[in-house]
Amino acid sequence: MLEVKNISKSFYRKIALDDVSLHVNQGEIFGLLGPNGAGKTTLIRIINRIIEPDSGHVRINGDLMTQKHLAQIGYLPEERGLYKTMTVQEHAVFLARLRGLSKADANRLLDQWLEKFNIGDWRKKRIEELSKGMAQKVQFICTVLHEPKLLILDEPLSGFDPINVELIKQELIEMKAKGKTIILSTHNMKSVEEICDRAVLIHQAKKIAEGSISELQEAKKDGIYAVKFRGNMIAFVNALWTGFEVVDKDILGDDRFVVRVKMRGDNSFEDLLKVLIGQVKIEAAWEVLPSMQDVFIDLVQGKKEVTDVQ
Amino acid sequence: MFNSGLIALRELKERISTRSFILMSIMGPLVILLITYMLFAYGGDGKQRWRVLIADPAGIMENKIMANEDNAVAYSFADDYLEMEEFRDGKRFQEFDALVEINEKVLSNKTVFVFYRDKPAVRMQTRIQFQIERRIEERMVDQFTDLTVPEFRKIKQPLNVAFRNANDPMDESSDKRGWVGFFFGTLIFTFIFLFGMTILRSVAHEKSNRIVEVLLASVNPRQLMLGKIMGIGVAAFIQFVIWCFVIGFGLYFMREFLFIDALDASKMDMVQMTKDVQEQTSFDQLFAAREYNEFVELIYERVQFSTMITYFLLFFIAGYFFYGALFAAIGATSGSENDGQQFVLPLIFLLCLALYAGYFTLLNPDSSTVDWLQYLPFTAPVVVMVKLAQGYAPGEGYQLYLSLIILVISAVIMLFIAGRLYKNGILQFGHRIRLTTLFKWLKKS
Repeated sequence: MLEVKNISKSFYRKIALDDVSLHVNQGEIFGLLGPNGAGKTTLIRIINRIIEPDSGHVRINGDLMTQKHLAQIGYLPEERGLYKTMTVQEHAVFLARLRGLSKADANRLLDQWLEKFNIGDWRKKRIEELSKGMAQKVQFICTVLHEPKLLILDEPLSGFDPINVELIKQELIEMKAKGKTIILSTHNMKSVEEICDRAVLIHQAKKIAEGSISELQEAKKDGIYAVKFRGNMIAFVNALWTGFEVVDKDILGDDRFVVRVKMRGDNSFEDLLKVLIGQVKIEAAWEVLPSMQDVFIDLVQGKKEVTDVQ
Repeated sequence: MFNSGLIALRELKERISTRSFILMSIMGPLVILLITYMLFAYGGDGKQRWRVLIADPAGIMENKIMANEDNAVAYSFADDYLEMEEFRDGKRFQEFDALVEINEKVLSNKTVFVFYRDKPAVRMQTRIQFQIERRIEERMVDQFTDLTVPEFRKIKQPLNVAFRNANDPMDESSDKRGWVGFFFGTLIFTFIFLFGMTILRSVAHEKSNRIVEVLLASVNPRQLMLGKIMGIGVAAFIQFVIWCFVIGFGLYFMREFLFIDALDASKMDMVQMTKDVQEQTSFDQLFAAREYNEFVELIYERVQFSTMITYFLLFFIAGYFFYGALFAAIGATSGSENDGQQFVLPLIFLLCLALYAGYFTLLNPDSSTVDWLQYLPFTAPVVVMVKLAQGYAPGEGYQLYLSLIILVISAVIMLFIAGRLYKNGILQFGHRIRLTTLFKWLKKS
């Protein structure tokens, strides 16, 4: 769907993007991750043709991106504004028409969205009358109103209460199911884990990782396994002896626990199970993958090169 | 271009729905009309109607004074002697504002007394004096000479010693008309400044509330800037049309209802009783109008509004785009809304300079400085308006077209330069404008 190839961009002496390449598949939710100032917004602006790269190019469905392709994109910037004196309807129709929609179609689709979000009575409200959360919803509707094939959302969940966060997440999942491609730039790693299929991590103008969420987690796993058992905790610890290390534990009941164990030396998951069987009653055991939060911190602080994990 | 149109339409809707736009559209021309009215009215209480009783026991005036009725003064005649005290206190005379005492010796001592209740304005005094004087004159010509009144007046007319510029013998470069041009030029710059500031504020506002990023994902920066300038320009144009309409209607209303006798000499003081005096020439009418009020004559007779308004519009549009692009560039390159306001100062200086150039042209129409001031795009709109009002000398008409062409080309270049600054500056936030930065942005494509 979208291919970013060898994009470099500098603002005078400051390098904003250094030879960044990535690809986004049709119908996936793609996380664009990175700490503040990493170059994410610059990349998004280049994709949207708001600024031009010094080198490299962007292709959409195999074609070099041009002005005419912008109508296929819905862009919600992180710092987004609205014309305060316009009504919700005027604003949404104005932006949709800029993206090539006719007035009648814009109004028809706006009706559907307002109905879907149960905010039909906002139509004639002036933007300045809306609360921040309400305005966020209007901004989201304005972004998707022209039925873009590619959505680029920069921190779309910020400013929403938990109920609306869920609403937007569900909406994104629904859109994905309809074949839309979504690029999600966010610092909310929980959301990334929940809804993103793949992600790229940019740090200090460079891509430092790209892959599916599970691949990224896999690459950063520390050989930790969780064991859920019934029995005596002392017996569990004694059984491990020196080949394993208890990382932490959750007490589920008087004699029920979940313990996370790290392998030492050449010990494997099978070895772990062998030493425990007979000592406690194992109910479940699984490999613990790091959260995306941990992956992010580890990659950024460790700056380890794990490009193209897949 | 379609997107520029949408941007322009949005801007236009927003501008014309603001209270300040509506207020300016109504109050602006009304203030101008008020000032015009005061200038018209200056020098005479022209609209006040006076009732004057002429006591003429000797029947010298033969109960006549003018062929037609004067709207400003209604004369009545009394055949008897009338004492001043009787006029002052007598009930039947209270309807009269003044008593003119014509005694039988008037033809020899040439003295007439006018007793008034409230002192008439100078204008009214002149009017009454003129009308009585003319009637007595007719009677004297009739009684003491064999001449007809027109013959007598030809002799009597003072010698008109007219000072004329050898290079402008038709006196086309009249100072007064120049002032009208200066007024039009000032109007151009007033509109440019007011709506230029609107452009700046609008750009800076979109930048500070970040909606510009959403817009730039659909339109390119040049389209956005052009749309904005066009939309606000159309709002300015609409306001100007409203001004023209209101001022035009106001002037018509004043002419027809308030200053009805301003230009119609037949309704004023040139027509006396004798028929042959009624041969009015256009010069007489002009003279009459000028006698009444020079400003009235200037507005209604001497200014060629059709030409002035045509060129006003052309120079307004070109000048607006020239300066509007500058305002847009300042708005786009500023780091904050306040930053932009500070950078308006040099622009205000330029606008003041342009106004001064217009004033300079007014005072020194033949100066060589004016020759190049009219070609400078910064000063052209006001200087050309003054020159146009004063009138171009034969063979110099090309200067007008050359000024316009230079201004249009300059506006296009300025739009290009501003477009580059706009493109490179619109997404820069929180910085301080430095000239070096501006040059860098200018160099960057």
